[in-house]
Amino acid sequence: METRVLFWSLSHDAIVAFYVIGFSAIAVFLWGLWRHIAKYRRGAANVSAVDLWAGMRRMVADVLSHRTLVRRDRYAGFAHMGIFFGFVIAAIGTSIITLEYDIVYPLFGVRFWKGDFYLLFSLILDLGHVALIVGILMMMWRRAYFRLPKLDYLRAYRGEGELREPARKWRREDWLFMSVLLVIELSGFTQEAVRLLMDRPEWAIWSPVGLALAKVFAGLGMSDATAAAIRGANWWMHGVLALAFTAAIPWYKAKHMIAVLGSLSMRSEKPLARLPREPEDKASAGVACISEFSWKDMLNFDACTKCGRCHEACPARSTGYPLSPRDLILDLRLYNDKVQGRPEEGVSLIGDVIDAETLWSCRSCGACQEICPVGIEHPTMIVQMRRQLVDRGEMDPLLQGALDAISSTGNSFGENSRKRSAWTRELEFEVKDIREERAESLWFVGDYASFDPRNQKVSRAFASLLKAARADFALLHEGERNSGNDVRRVGEEGLYESLVESNLEAMAGVKPFERIITTDPHSYNTIRNEYPEFGPTAPVEHYSSVLADLLDTGRLKVTKPLNKRVTFHDPCHLGRLNGGYDAPRQVLEAIGCEIIEMPRNRDNSFCCGAGGGRIWIPDPPGQEKPSENRMHEASSLGGIDVFVTCCPKDLTMFEDARKTSGHEKEFVVQDIAELVAEAVELEKLTLKDLPPLAERLTDAIATRIAEVVATRLDEVLAGKMAALATAPEAGSFTATRAVAPPAEAAEAAAEQPAAPVARPPEPDISAPPAAPPAADPLPALTPMDWDNLAPVTPADLGGYVAPDKTGLRIMVAVKHAAKLGDEYEFTADGRDIGGEFLEHDLNEWDDAALEQALLLIEALGGGEVVAVAVGPEESEKSLRKVLAKGADRAIRVWDDRLANADPVTIARALAGVARAEAPDLILTGTQSSDQAHGSTGTALARILGLAHASVIASVEWDGKGDLTVTRELEGGTRQVLSLPAPALLAIQTGTNTPRYATMRMIKQAKKKPLEVLDGAALIDGGGGYRVRRMYTPVQEKAKMLEGSAEEVAEQIAALIRERKGT
Amino acid sequence: MPGILVVAEQMEGSLRDISAELIGAALSIKDQIGGPLRVLVIGATPDNLARGVNLHGVDEILTVTTPSDHFDPLIYEQAVVTAGGQCKPTVVLIGHTVSGMAYGASVAARLGSGFASDVFILGTADGELIATRAAYGNKVEMEMGFSGKGVVVLTLRGATFAAPDGGGSATLTALAVDMSGIEGVSTHVEYQEAPPSDVDITKSGFILSVGRGIQDKDNLPRFAALADKLGATLGCSRPIVDSGWLAKPHQVGQSGKVASNCELYLALGISGAVQHLYGMKHVDTIIAVNTDPDAPIFNVATYGTTVDLFELTEALERHFN
Repeated sequence: METRVLFWSLSHDAIVAFYVIGFSAIAVFLWGLWRHIAKYRRGAANVSAVDLWAGMRRMVADVLSHRTLVRRDRYAGFAHMGIFFGFVIAAIGTSIITLEYDIVYPLFGVRFWKGDFYLLFSLILDLGHVALIVGILMMMWRRAYFRLPKLDYLRAYRGEGELREPARKWRREDWLFMSVLLVIELSGFTQEAVRLLMDRPEWAIWSPVGLALAKVFAGLGMSDATAAAIRGANWWMHGVLALAFTAAIPWYKAKHMIAVLGSLSMRSEKPLARLPREPEDKASAGVACISEFSWKDMLNFDACTKCGRCHEACPARSTGYPLSPRDLILDLRLYNDKVQGRPEEGVSLIGDVIDAETLWSCRSCGACQEICPVGIEHPTMIVQMRRQLVDRGEMDPLLQGALDAISSTGNSFGENSRKRSAWTRELEFEVKDIREERAESLWFVGDYASFDPRNQKVSRAFASLLKAARADFALLHEGERNSGNDVRRVGEEGLYESLVESNLEAMAGVKPFERIITTDPHSYNTIRNEYPEFGPTAPVEHYSSVLADLLDTGRLKVTKPLNKRVTFHDPCHLGRLNGGYDAPRQVLEAIGCEIIEMPRNRDNSFCCGAGGGRIWIPDPPGQEKPSENRMHEASSLGGIDVFVTCCPKDLTMFEDARKTSGHEKEFVVQDIAELVAEAVELEKLTLKDLPPLAERLTDAIATRIAEVVATRLDEVLAGKMAALATAPEAGSFTATRAVAPPAEAAEAAAEQPAAPVARPPEPDISAPPAAPPAADPLPALTPMDWDNLAPVTPADLGGYVAPDKTGLRIMVAVKHAAKLGDEYEFTADGRDIGGEFLEHDLNEWDDAALEQALLLIEALGGGEVVAVAVGPEESEKSLRKVLAKGADRAIRVWDDRLANADPVTIARALAGVARAEAPDLILTGTQSSDQAHGSTGTALARILGLAHASVIASVEWDGKGDLTVTRELEGGTRQVLSLPAPALLAIQTGTNTPRYATMRMIKQAKKKPLEVLDGAALIDGGGGYRVRRMYTPVQEKAKMLEGSAEEVAEQIAALIRERKGT
Repeated sequence: MPGILVVAEQMEGSLRDISAELIGAALSIKDQIGGPLRVLVIGATPDNLARGVNLHGVDEILTVTTPSDHFDPLIYEQAVVTAGGQCKPTVVLIGHTVSGMAYGASVAARLGSGFASDVFILGTADGELIATRAAYGNKVEMEMGFSGKGVVVLTLRGATFAAPDGGGSATLTALAVDMSGIEGVSTHVEYQEAPPSDVDITKSGFILSVGRGIQDKDNLPRFAALADKLGATLGCSRPIVDSGWLAKPHQVGQSGKVASNCELYLALGISGAVQHLYGMKHVDTIIAVNTDPDAPIFNVATYGTTVDLFELTEALERHFN
């Protein structure tokens, strides 16, 4: 019967010895496995959404097809296929023998490893082993001769000159892994050959490789005795090596064989496209120590095979930034294996193991996870560590500024939200407001497309295309806020959540719409994948597919095919993260463009460098930017007319990069909507006239009537105004505006007579009418003169009693300062601006004062900071912010009649609080960013009778004796002086860097005490002035130079030459 | 008896420009207010300074001798209150300067007088004083009245009111001020001059100044090179210095240097905070480049443009290469 002897010529003792070795090997294997499992159990719970069954099916499909390995490296893919399938066949073979010999036969006395089954088994195993050997040899060849940069562990991007010790170890284990496997394989064939040589079974042909080798041995004249000797010794070598290999699996590179099965099965449904939420009960944000990584993340570390595909794809690494996704994972693995999932005292994961700089280098483009054959989700881990960095306030000051701007104004440009749809004004038609009218599509515009001048052109082009296609769309106008996609990827999860909430709320409270469309892939991604976790949303579509549809259905007709050679850049958030590869290409084809693909296209698209919040972080000088790298790639195609984008951030980045990379003359960068506009000859269409004919006629008649009526009205009004002008002007007064008039305004100056002639009334239309102002709701100012002085006293705040002092107490005055946009209206009484036109945020100077207070308390090792604001409920936003930054308590004083109160009144309110609090030091900002009185602190010091100093740049204090402070004087000189405590100091900005309060900290600060005091007692005529009126000044505006940059430069150059003779 | 009291300002024994500007402002309303115009000079040797404020229209100069010339807000406050108590002016004018900010409001709080700061238009209506200041980040103006207040203390914006021409014939009166209890509360330690530099904004005739609009520190060398090529001194706004991109001597503005001898000022990416305008708005020809057409810089500039700063810079580089 066809079979073979298992333990040829082995004594009983030898067999026992072999079993002892075998069981030991299995024990070592299991021990290693257990160590890993124990390590994973120390990790945090997994927070990513995982569908395990679907994951496992996908894993099996990926493993069997090897598609993740063959991609972008067919050689390695096929080599691995040989090794993998060879190994699996070998493993199955060994298992079958074990099954029969050790289980089925001893238990049931049945043998099945014989006959035809044995023959087929022999053949398959022979072929499998050949595949394995071929695979290993290919891999060895590749490592030895291909010199692939992705397999180089030298961290050149970090200036490393030689391999670090762990990297040397990696290189050794790579070779050890392949070599041991190869030796096992060769010894296996040797064993088969000598067996066949000696036994000469008639079915030897079923082991073709072994038989061939046996023939070679025979041909070389090998005697039976030699064969027997080899057979005996080689058996042991082969067996022990194979068992050692098994035992070692969990302990080195080979562990990927097991870990990969887990990591592939556990892939997130939408890695990076949908980031995990922060558990609410977490003490600190994100991942601060190794045990805060989930067991899934730890499994990811172990699954890494160092294949370097991510290293090669990463745009940060490619342009020399200190981030290689591969090295990040390997560093984390190295450290996790050292500490076995336990946090280590005195070692900071971020800083000691992973550099903050490395984490900030990431663009969240997803190129690494996309190409990772084993399902590692690097960007998610990076974002989780960034969450910790943001929590610690360790970030670029410009990034902090952008987050602050988003938090206070809802957009990263820090613009007043009323300006969000200002770009629509240049359109020849009105854009619907979804808050007033229903529409088929709600267009979520996004920050860049709304505020950036270059992108505004694209927004107008797309709006006009929609109009031309008679598509029904509307905007949220100022109801829209930053979508939060990049805020989330920066790691400011709290701010992200509040943005989602306000956008969802805005979209929920409007007229009906069927879908959301957007030109911004970043907004598209988060609304599509992440918003649904927070609340119901409508389906969302990127404008590339909207355009494809409009062209396809003929609602937009191409009248002028462009016949351009273009290349298309896939935006990461549209392509890789959401699979939107085809629609833009369809559009380009439809408008007659020939698409020349860049080598890195579709899922291998190369990020512009703006993602993950990097658009807010400046790139270091002298370093190639990812966008420049991409420009070189486009240039290498040769003869390209247009580099096409369909993402506002791409347009911004590539417009710059085209110039800085020296390809300015080769091609232009254009948005896809601009090309479509060209192809449908949008400029020839009169969009205003688009409504149906009947509507047009009524419109025309209405316009005519309106014109006639308006002319009549003008005449009537002009007559009335002439009569008014002769009457004495109630608001007129003698005035001097002694501003030296700008050079070219001599004529205007001549017209403006010197005092004491009446100043011409303000002709500005936004000023209130010259009629006497409405009755002042405030009582008259307290009368006084030199014989009846009325020293200002602290306000009585309803018997407020401060908590007992337990140590040092510093009081900081805080203002929720207003920011006025470009469009505003005055209140009915003409004394103030309507509150709806103002946006507020913590006053910059008070932020510096708070920082100074916190620095003092920290340096002195204890004490209390009490923040006091005089303002309406809304100003609690700023108080929460300072509480989040570290103030201990807050007090707010208010009465509605205190709106835009004068500094003396504010000082009285603060004095009322200070009298109760008896602080050891009072800090205020030098001035406020809105009214800039620069007086509140000084008045407060006088009311309280404190020593004081203003415009303070630095403070030194031991908490008891005199303070040594530095005053910033005009012209850059500083004066150092000392003064006794308690004192009041007005702090200047720019002398410290105020810390950042994350939204999470702000939410947590809600637990800190905030007392509200009634400020009614302040309405007693105690202020320093009464506002008569507020108005928009008429400004002598500069003569604006018109034309292109080139033409303006010419005019400026002429001016310079004329003036300076340069 | 009504009248106006102007408080002169000095720095280490020399009179500052704001003193004459305050006198000019006082003169513009002197007739409407009525009464004499008095100037209060405070310092270690006030008589030396008195000559500088003996300008056209000044009726009396009051001098207060202090132990040193170092500014001390408590002493200034006491001197003004004492002088006021004697001559009972209805209007007290103080400069809205680093020093003025430190005692103007305290004088007002002590008296319970009318008070407004950073005033840049002065006038009267029906015999009552009207002062105008800016509000909401200088976008609007706010007109204030002080009805009922027999005394109004104002701090006036610098480099705004014109100094009067010609000398005056004021009488000189020394004033005794009781400084017990306030003298020595705070002690002057030293002055720290800004580190010396080869940049002198005050002397330059042509300044190329950059602001936040240059976006990035990396872009700075480019503008420095352009300034060099044009023969201009490189200036900047405060945020550039605060961010550490340029050293303090480059800063134009209130807390920097005033471009006193400048004839041509090229403002690139500067929005025009009051702080900055203070140091350059008087310049004869100002060319401003800013993408925001509403930027306040265009209110003082002679020529303006909203084209892209970098495209323009590139074109200029070509022009001057």
